[in-house]
Amino acid sequence: MAHLSRLTIQKRILILLFFAIFGSIILGARLIYLQIYQNNFYRAKAINQRSLAIPVDAKRGTIYDRNGIPLAVSVSANAVYAIPAQVKDKEETARLLAEILEIEYDFVLSRVSKRSAAEWIKKRVPSEVARKIIALDLPGIGVVENPERFYPYGSVAPQVLGIVGIDNQGLEGIELYYDDILRGTPGKTVFERDAAGREIPGGIQEYIPGEDGSDIVLTIDYYIQQIAQREVERAARETGSRLAVIIIMDPSTGEILANAIYPSFDLLNYQDYPLENRRNISVTDTYEPGSTFKAVTAAVALDTGVATLNTYFSDPGFINVSGWTIRCWLRGGHGSQSFVETLENSCNPFYAKLGMDIGGERFYEYLTRYNFGSKTGIDFPGEASGVVRHPSTGVPLVTWANIGFGQGLTVTPIQLLAAFGAIANEGIYSVPHYVKEIHLDGTVQGPNIPEPRPIMDPEIAKMTKDALRSVIANGSGKRAESPGYFVAGKTGTAQLVENGRYSHSKTVTSFAGFAPADDPKMAGILILWEPQGAFFGGIIAAPVFSRLVDQVMPYLGVKRVETGSRIDQANTVVIPDVLGLSPEEASKRLEQVGLKVHMIVGEGSRIEGLVPEAGVRVPRGTNVIIYTDVDYINTISDLPNPFGM
Amino acid sequence: MFTKKGKPDLIIFTAVVMLLSIGLVMVLSASSSLGISGFRDPYHYFKRQSVFAVIGVAALFFFMKLDYKILKRFALPGLLLSFALLVLVLLIGDNISGSKRWINLGFFNLQPSEVAKLFMVNFLAVYISNKRERIRLFLTGLIPALCILAAKFGLIMLEPDFGTAMALSATSLIVLFAGGAHFGQMLGLGSLAIPALWYLIMNEEYRMRRFFAYINPWKDPTDTGWNIIQSLLAIGPGGLFGLGLGNSRQKFSYLPEHHTDFIFAILCEELGFIGGMVVLLLFFVIAWRGLRIAMNAPDLYGSLLAIGITSMISFQALLNIGVVTGMLPVTGITLPFISYGGSSLLMSLASVGILLNISRQSKN
Repeated sequence: MAHLSRLTIQKRILILLFFAIFGSIILGARLIYLQIYQNNFYRAKAINQRSLAIPVDAKRGTIYDRNGIPLAVSVSANAVYAIPAQVKDKEETARLLAEILEIEYDFVLSRVSKRSAAEWIKKRVPSEVARKIIALDLPGIGVVENPERFYPYGSVAPQVLGIVGIDNQGLEGIELYYDDILRGTPGKTVFERDAAGREIPGGIQEYIPGEDGSDIVLTIDYYIQQIAQREVERAARETGSRLAVIIIMDPSTGEILANAIYPSFDLLNYQDYPLENRRNISVTDTYEPGSTFKAVTAAVALDTGVATLNTYFSDPGFINVSGWTIRCWLRGGHGSQSFVETLENSCNPFYAKLGMDIGGERFYEYLTRYNFGSKTGIDFPGEASGVVRHPSTGVPLVTWANIGFGQGLTVTPIQLLAAFGAIANEGIYSVPHYVKEIHLDGTVQGPNIPEPRPIMDPEIAKMTKDALRSVIANGSGKRAESPGYFVAGKTGTAQLVENGRYSHSKTVTSFAGFAPADDPKMAGILILWEPQGAFFGGIIAAPVFSRLVDQVMPYLGVKRVETGSRIDQANTVVIPDVLGLSPEEASKRLEQVGLKVHMIVGEGSRIEGLVPEAGVRVPRGTNVIIYTDVDYINTISDLPNPFGM
Repeated sequence: MFTKKGKPDLIIFTAVVMLLSIGLVMVLSASSSLGISGFRDPYHYFKRQSVFAVIGVAALFFFMKLDYKILKRFALPGLLLSFALLVLVLLIGDNISGSKRWINLGFFNLQPSEVAKLFMVNFLAVYISNKRERIRLFLTGLIPALCILAAKFGLIMLEPDFGTAMALSATSLIVLFAGGAHFGQMLGLGSLAIPALWYLIMNEEYRMRRFFAYINPWKDPTDTGWNIIQSLLAIGPGGLFGLGLGNSRQKFSYLPEHHTDFIFAILCEELGFIGGMVVLLLFFVIAWRGLRIAMNAPDLYGSLLAIGITSMISFQALLNIGVVTGMLPVTGITLPFISYGGSSLLMSLASVGILLNISRQSKN
């Protein structure tokens, strides 16, 4: 029995040995699989897990003006960063950094306490401060050379350029719209760290360079932009306007040569300015255009045949529209006028009539064709489309009457400028744009905008253009005339909606036009929000346009011609202040200095307003209108607010 | 009392010395940063391990001299002592991350389950050599042995220490199998054990999650899958020759237990496939020579004792490497001679001493 047992044991020991061999082979095979076959897979995974990358921003592309002047460039600057996991004493580190960098302690503490690989503490640190930081040798705090935006020519068209954030990303404007092109690919410094984020002694450390961003050439002309910035500020200050914008465009191409907005801001220190100063209201905001829109109505009326150049209109000073009375700004009316004279006189009842005669369906169709109520496709972020009501049975006739003279719809400044551009450019609508060239990978590309397209018959455009020339030569826009250049354009004043009603005192005054009238080289728009004192675009906006033409035309190489309307400096007078006087006394004072009293408006006994206003220099013999009742100049105050706001 | 003549098995002795040396070097390499952060001394763990290695080698020589037959007398007292220690650890053991595995003796922490393994092997060897063929009987042969095993298993599971409980059970079952127990009976009972084992896994949430992490560690890479993923991220990049001694990257707080249960992963990372295979082969040498000693043992008791000790070491190595390479679910179990840990090292070396004594009394 014992013998048998012994044999059994020996047999079973052999079985155990077999299992030991089998187990060893399995484990050995497993090691071959993991270490030889999957070696690369696991090595990549392990390195990836341990690698900590501190991003080094790529150099952002340069933004040039159309002459090649660099407006926004990337320069190397010291940037202080933190690797939170390596920061030992968070409070003490934050205290020291806050003191040296002159920033908030709480901000630094929150950054060094974050659970992330690396955090920027401050960028654009002067080198002597950077040296101090390096000398402190705080664990987890470092300084690297990182590219930063710099503006060699100061803040040129800052609302157009837009700002760049701390992480090298375009936040607004062209910097945002073309961020993909400008940004490039960030590089990085890689080193190995342990699971807690601390640097591994003797670990790998390498720099992987990024790819610089591509350059962009704007359509903006630095010199014209300087003129526009100067003029917009002067106009806003002189009129006490809250907000002002000037846009100058090449009507044949849609290239925007200048876009100035008041109030403005400094690109480098943008955080010191109110947020709204950064808005490019030319594109992102809408307003009621008022009488400048009559140019559009005129074109539609001529194209539809509702009116011809031979149409005459007898203006009694008002027009009744389904129970509402639309009054002309000139009490008593303009009497009998030709089609062109109605535009010269900016006669509201006639344009109200045109609006109704064209009719909702047709008017809407034309406005849509002229790109009102929809985005132009300009290369700028956040474009507004404006509101044009869709014709339906619910929209009253009076709406179309209102739109006839530019109330009851909203447009962006860019939309209206583009329409004037089409009038100037034989009916061809060129989409306004800011970027001329994109220099990408050795190629030069244009901006991504819709193609130019015809929107009106060249004949109609020509007729409208001539009528707009007449407005300057003979009508309400006389003061936009510039010595040596034929200007065409239209003034406008619209009342602002306040508390759901049209305001009696807050207006938007504007001028839109182009020059020279026969072969336009520039189209421009000027808008002033809430000017103080003066009420009509012809008085305050038109002279600004004159100054623009006077400076921009020579720069563009357009020679002065004999226009015959040169204002003789020696033969001008300043309008005296007659406010508060009786109409008789005022008339006497005005005639004494060589002015003519064209008419007295209102039945009051004291002068409350005059056009042109006091203090303005005008040619001797200019007609002055005096008002004894300010309400009369609010021609549409009694109408319902079309937006129901 | 002492064996006077007979040459010990020098091959197994060399293999153990080599494993011990590799182990000490690896403990130094793996634990130095841990030593700095915990005790401001990179040699902290290495020094302690060296002390146990010296004591362990002394124990090895002692048991190599001591006639193993004397150990027969300690079968019952040893069994009782191990039960006492296993109960004691539950009462006064240090609770380290949710389990009570160590009794703090001041100068070192005693791990009763390590002691219990050797005493269990010795008890079974005595039990079977006394029963002889009657071990094939079910009620009086197999069942009493299994009851004692089940009791120890239960006590270790109360700590809980699933890995050691598994190692103990496997070793005991191997001894029973080698000792001639009825294979059909074992298989029958074994099939009953499977649902019980399943219940044990599924009843404890962390064990269940580890089990599923074993099936797909990438499903929960930051929690239950962490250990095994980090282990693979150490072994895989090692390649053929490794990153070089001391150059492990995963030991920097990525791989937990990198100086104890997962030291084999660090070894594979630093010494590569070559290093891993050397260790694997050395363990195979222990299995092969150990079983050879069992074959040639002068009596049944010696034969079974040799099988028990050999399988105790080999199976534990197999289990540990299986876990570390991601072939088995994660259970806390040390790699004999290599992993940091005093009780384990001491018991392993002492066991090898006994094995060597048996070899010295070999029949041929």
